[in-house]
Amino acid sequence: MASTRLIPVALQTAPVVMLALLVGWAMLDVSAIGDGRWSAALFTVLLTGVAAVILSAVLHGRRIRAIGPIAVGAAYVGAHAFVLGVQLMPALVFLSVLISQVELRILAERFSPLYKAALRPDERTRIHGALGRAILRLMVAAVLSVVVPVLAADLAVAGIVPATTIPTAIALAGALVAVVALLALLPSLSRRPA
Amino acid sequence: MRTPLSSGLAAASLVLLVAGLALRSWQVVLLALPPIIVLSLGSLFPPAKPRLSAVRTLSRERAEAGRDVEVKLVVRNDGPTLDLIEIVDVLPRQFAIIRGSNHAVVSLERGDAIPLSYTVRSPVKGDFRIGPVRVRSLDPLALGAEDAVLPIDARLVVAPTMEDLRRTKLQPRRTRPWFGQVPSRQIGAGTEFWGVREYAAGDEVRRINWKASARLDRLFTNEYEGERSGDVVIVVDARRESFVGTETDNPIEHGVRAALGIAEHVLASKNRVGLIVQREVIDWVPPAFGRKQLYRILDHLTQVRPGGEWPFAYIAWVLSRFFPRDCLIVVVSPLEDRTALNAVIDLEARGYDVAIVSPSPLAIEWRLGQQRPEDKTAYQILRIERDNLISQLRRVAQVVDWDPATPLALALRRIGTWPRPA
Repeated sequence: MASTRLIPVALQTAPVVMLALLVGWAMLDVSAIGDGRWSAALFTVLLTGVAAVILSAVLHGRRIRAIGPIAVGAAYVGAHAFVLGVQLMPALVFLSVLISQVELRILAERFSPLYKAALRPDERTRIHGALGRAILRLMVAAVLSVVVPVLAADLAVAGIVPATTIPTAIALAGALVAVVALLALLPSLSRRPA
Repeated sequence: MRTPLSSGLAAASLVLLVAGLALRSWQVVLLALPPIIVLSLGSLFPPAKPRLSAVRTLSRERAEAGRDVEVKLVVRNDGPTLDLIEIVDVLPRQFAIIRGSNHAVVSLERGDAIPLSYTVRSPVKGDFRIGPVRVRSLDPLALGAEDAVLPIDARLVVAPTMEDLRRTKLQPRRTRPWFGQVPSRQIGAGTEFWGVREYAAGDEVRRINWKASARLDRLFTNEYEGERSGDVVIVVDARRESFVGTETDNPIEHGVRAALGIAEHVLASKNRVGLIVQREVIDWVPPAFGRKQLYRILDHLTQVRPGGEWPFAYIAWVLSRFFPRDCLIVVVSPLEDRTALNAVIDLEARGYDVAIVSPSPLAIEWRLGQQRPEDKTAYQILRIERDNLISQLRRVAQVVDWDPATPLALALRRIGTWPRPA
């Protein structure tokens, strides 16, 4: 019974804590920039994101809510890509935590109301099962999001895949574009009648 | 179905990829991988396509406007286990949910069923369809969704509420040869004393006036005023221009309510009642007696929606071809245009007896408006115009100017017998 009460609280708290951590992390990195103009620009982006998150929470605006994580991510990636230089491991961790935060917020929105309703034991078991499966998938995705690019980088650095040549770069870029396009279009293609 | 999150992740990875190539930074290119990996996992485990069946029951199939109707919906999962499923029983927009919910987000295993129970109320009349049931199988991580529609509809007929006119005196002036309750000003079978005449062979013994017979030393018989029935045709003006106000508070809705009350009252007095509705089409019910006729009229009134741009004078054409000439025409109209005046004069000229019930659009507008000083001035000007039109109409017909916020019976009782005897 206690877990039934704790789960929605934990679900709702986790995304907020994660976002606060991400904002703090991004602020630390942006404040390390020596160039005042870059620093000001990236701080503006970051604060826009924070403002969007606060406003969306106050006004219950779903549209402006998406601006928050995008702005925080953009500030972090911008700071490293243009000024500080990308350190692969922390950047991958940052991105996967950012994606997990968005996913957790969605999970909280979907599952918290279910726990608030009066549940029969079998219903509670079903919902526990569904939530458990979703969290497991999210954890697997988060771990793979860090491990796979690191492995790819290691392979490239070790020279197994010659990532420094122009044909490889073109092939890699083409493959990525194809994968992204396929993932984006596949659902709409599958729904088209034969 | 693609979700905003999956589109966002695809866009983010493309942006990082392009940025990495533009900056010639393989690290940034690699940052495009995490969104792709999350999307790939979403594609590997898509939400199951829902295969459901549903049964819906209503506590009643016909209800009066404003009455509660209980809806019970049971949705059963005949397909694979659905981690997260959103179910919505689609309701007409006029319906308000009083108790319970027509929406649920649940987790359903194969063979499981979820009952949804809720109470709805419609403030307006109409022939409504509840359903279909829309179902969306959701990926808990919002990377995809599968939609399904369960085509089960339930019909709910919401009848207009009826004005209570029991205590009003409403009867046709001209009668027809059938027995009824309207004094015909002719000798016949009835209860009201009319006169005395000499006894004729075959007269009933109970009708002999013994006092007069004793005094004059001859037999005399009482005569009574025959009570007959008449025809009333109710004309409902539901043209688009007659619609003023909101969906629940407008002259057409109130007019329908009044028409139903009048029909019920006149039919209960053993008269024939017919109906003409001027809306998108002109539809009519020929005059007839009885309870069945009331249901026929109710069915037609339930379908009334504002529409059509007909001139009011078309009613005269329908009346002259399909309805008896010596009937009472009760026009239920907000009298929004002055052509009504000419139409009523035309009807009078053709020999019809006309009475008008006019639900005041001005009263409705005034109630719904902000009632600022400038509104008050406008209201007064329009009030004068309406009074002017009504006083012109009163030369040829009896008019009841009715504020729908008050009962119609009150407005009718103020003027006594309606329409007044000739």
